[in-house]
Amino acid sequence: MTDPIRDEWYPVALVSQLGPEGRDTRLLGEPVRVAWHGGAITVTSGGRSLPSQQRYGHVWACPGTPQRPLFDIPEADQPGRRLVDVGLVRVKCSPLRAVENFLDIAHFPFVHTDILGAEPHTEVGRYDVAIREEVDEVWATKVHFYQPQAAKSAAGGITTEYMYRVPAPTVSILYKTCPPRPGEWDVITLFVQPLDEELCEVWPWMALFDDDTPMTDLIHFQQTIFLQDRSILENQLPHRLPLDPGLEIPTRADLTSVAYRRWLKRRGYTYGAQLVAA
Amino acid sequence: MPVERFIIRGDLAAATFLPWVARHLLRLGLRGETQRSDALCVEMLVEGPADLIDAMEMGVSLGPIEAWVETIERLPLNRCGSA
Repeated sequence: MTDPIRDEWYPVALVSQLGPEGRDTRLLGEPVRVAWHGGAITVTSGGRSLPSQQRYGHVWACPGTPQRPLFDIPEADQPGRRLVDVGLVRVKCSPLRAVENFLDIAHFPFVHTDILGAEPHTEVGRYDVAIREEVDEVWATKVHFYQPQAAKSAAGGITTEYMYRVPAPTVSILYKTCPPRPGEWDVITLFVQPLDEELCEVWPWMALFDDDTPMTDLIHFQQTIFLQDRSILENQLPHRLPLDPGLEIPTRADLTSVAYRRWLKRRGYTYGAQLVAA
Repeated sequence: MPVERFIIRGDLAAATFLPWVARHLLRLGLRGETQRSDALCVEMLVEGPADLIDAMEMGVSLGPIEAWVETIERLPLNRCGSA
């Protein structure tokens, strides 16, 4: 029998920052080593070699037996995009909480004040959410929200359109209005490495149309956003993501989060989840 | 106050399901009455403010871990109780 948790792909290192000394880290509570061997990168755990690959600037590993290929981001290969390795943020929270927070729009005016949101523009309008059975992914579309500074390249406030995609339990991909190139989407991802059930490392990564902003500023902008999230994430109770909403009252603004939790429940993905309301 | 009929379908055989629904109604301050229930379908009336009835749908769509809610059909009722 396969284990849906062990059979997923997880990020374990940034290719561009993996030095000759390698990287000792953890995955699902077990020690993992990422290292160069004769020009190739290998990932081992307990003396066992794990399936691994390099994609989207990161090294990906699977502790079990992969049941499907790593998800596709076609925009990663689109000419003209800048691919941004944002780096690493360690967060003392459930890996599922980190993904869920990324899917939440309602907190923008209060946590990312004057950047991704601002009062009095706090209303989350109706949007569409679906579990796309053909690809087994969660998608939220037609999400509109007023943002004072939607991106580093944005000049002033705009109503931004978003699409959210969850292609794997600890990965979320955001597609948002691209200020310098209408008709295209900026792609901002959150790759989450579960160290254990209540501790994770978050690797944001971006594929943007922005020829002007210095790379350092792009990275700094995204890190600023995520560091604002971190203080919220580390203080959320319960620490694990409840799949039974006993202590929380989800509303229509939480439609994406509810779809994400339903999807996890159906897939039997419970690492970092709270199964029964305390 | 709005009244809606919820037709909940899925794998609802778990003994925890109906008590869980009753608790969630109370938590939201809604009134509810189960009219029919079996392992695959539960029909109930829910009465209260529209936003809280929305929240009831959100909560029940997750439900207790032992149950799986596939769909929730909502039928607004008029004051006489018909759809």
